[in-house]
Amino acid sequence: MIIKRFLVITLFLAGISMHAQNKQLLYDFNEVPQALMINPGMETDFSWYAGIPALSGISFQAGSSGISVNDIFADDGLDINDKVRDRAIYGMSVRDELSGTYQLEIFSGGFRGKDPSVFYSFGLYNEGDAIGYWFRDYAILGYDGNADRLNERFDLSHLKTRGEMLNVFHFGVNKQMSKDLILGARGKLYSSIFDFNSVHNDGYFVTTEGENNIYASTLNADMELRTSGVNAIDHALDDDNVAATIIERGLFGGNLGLGVDLGFTYYLNAQTVVTGSLLDLGFIYHANDVENFTLQGEATIEGMEIILPDALVDPNQDFWQNLVDDVEEFIPFEKEYSSYVTFRPTKLYGSIRYNFGEPMQGAASCDCDYRTGGKSRNIIKYRNSIGGQLYMINRPRGPQSAITAFYQRRFGNFMTIKATYTADKFTFTNVGLGASIQAGPVNFYLMADNLLAYSNIADSNYTSFQFGLNIISWGKK
Amino acid sequence: MKKSGRYLYVVLAAMLLFSCVEEQDFNQYDDLSVTPTYEASVLYLEVPESAINLLPSGYSYSQDFNFDAFSEDIFADRVLEGVLTYYVENTTSKPLEIEIEFLDEAGTVLDTEQFVLGPEPTAVLQREIAYGPSGRSLNIIRNTSSISVTATNNGDNVSTSSQDDPMVTLKSSGKFTVRIKG
Repeated sequence: MIIKRFLVITLFLAGISMHAQNKQLLYDFNEVPQALMINPGMETDFSWYAGIPALSGISFQAGSSGISVNDIFADDGLDINDKVRDRAIYGMSVRDELSGTYQLEIFSGGFRGKDPSVFYSFGLYNEGDAIGYWFRDYAILGYDGNADRLNERFDLSHLKTRGEMLNVFHFGVNKQMSKDLILGARGKLYSSIFDFNSVHNDGYFVTTEGENNIYASTLNADMELRTSGVNAIDHALDDDNVAATIIERGLFGGNLGLGVDLGFTYYLNAQTVVTGSLLDLGFIYHANDVENFTLQGEATIEGMEIILPDALVDPNQDFWQNLVDDVEEFIPFEKEYSSYVTFRPTKLYGSIRYNFGEPMQGAASCDCDYRTGGKSRNIIKYRNSIGGQLYMINRPRGPQSAITAFYQRRFGNFMTIKATYTADKFTFTNVGLGASIQAGPVNFYLMADNLLAYSNIADSNYTSFQFGLNIISWGKK
Repeated sequence: MKKSGRYLYVVLAAMLLFSCVEEQDFNQYDDLSVTPTYEASVLYLEVPESAINLLPSGYSYSQDFNFDAFSEDIFADRVLEGVLTYYVENTTSKPLEIEIEFLDEAGTVLDTEQFVLGPEPTAVLQREIAYGPSGRSLNIIRNTSSISVTATNNGDNVSTSSQDDPMVTLKSSGKFTVRIKG
């Protein structure tokens, strides 16, 4: 029952909250305070800002690298059985994934310190993240079976999945070290609501010619599923108090961890900037409500064996039950409760930006203007920026990366638009567009990804959007 | 500023205008059929000639063995068709008869398979029994709870085959198609 619910939760997460989390549109988007969350060393010119609670930062991303809804359900007259066989079961590789994430800022804010070169930011956000790689051999075994596949090993390591939901409390410091260099760091306290991971599986199932009988079936398994909080959610489903359980576990009632984000911005010259950030360098220690399941061992069976005269020693013995017992003894399915540590999916961003066009006065308050400059480079805003970005994330099957080219256009201090082209494992045709609008103190931003796929959303392998509302002050009188 | 706002409206309007979804037919899911076929060994019986010679001539050894593999719900509720394959080999010096009976929970015989074997040298006797639409009733398989094996020595109990390690062996495997979806 628990396993069933666990699967339901997994599929639920897989369905609604997929792919982690390249925020290439938001990255280095200096007009939006939430960009500090993906580079704590970003240039800031705000005096203070306050996010509208629960509306300041909402992001959602979903990706499927091997298949789309349209591949299976397009009304194209093809037999769905052929489509599933050719495009899913045999068409996807073990590196294909269904993955994603969502983030919901509960509150956020920031203010400039007494030392105007230092900007502090803080907040709390809720995040869900899940990834499941295509379990190819399991799918073939489930779809076609093992018949007529003598000596073909079904690889149990194809099961590789992880997911979690957590709250993150954070506090960041951003300091202008010199006219050309800004450094930033953000400390994070993770409060894990639930976690599951099954990423270190190994083994195989194979049918071979038998030594005595016609076939020998061998299962060699070294599998593990670790969970924390799943049991609490399961009980909450029974008691109909899921929301209360999530809130309680998210406010230090679950498992805790620590992490840090680091970032910088550096001006190579007056118009060329490089940036970088390393996010979620951290861990969570799971000791509360832990349940781990293992299946480890090896057994080979050739059916029920009756060999006389040995079988006559105890003719009433239950040969079938003995066979079942032997298998369970050789490959025990066990449950245990030992604590474990998970490392957060660490992300790396880098960028180079070239600013050009007519310079103008930024929104920041200073005793300077764009012709004389101040202590900070970003008092001068150029109309245009062009550049490239790199993104990497640590995943169960190794790092994933994406590269982005972008163009950014500022329309006074009222609006900024950023257009991106991104290539990654999901798509080579990912064009995104983001806009930040400043209406007095109110800042609104909206960003969407993979816009070309909007011509047929069902055929999209990847989609994301993010938006938010903030109140921003530059301290001008 | 007005111009900028206009740009944004144009972009948003274009997104709305050009975003669409090609017609999808989710009812196709009803047509999806998942019917894998699995095969594995079922029963292995081995009686060496030395054991046969310990018993009187014409003696029948008979024994029921619990066998729940077919009656497990996960199999019985989903099986569509299948084949049981037998390989029987006699390298002893005597003619033998082996009978396999499939019994239900109450001990009622549901199906019988008989193998009559001459003394060595004999070829391996192979037999395939189909169950399902093109063979015997699947209910035999679904309701089998135990297997009865009867081996009868129709020869003497003193002679010994010249072959190495003389014995009678019965090998068997099942190959069954089950319905997962559809």
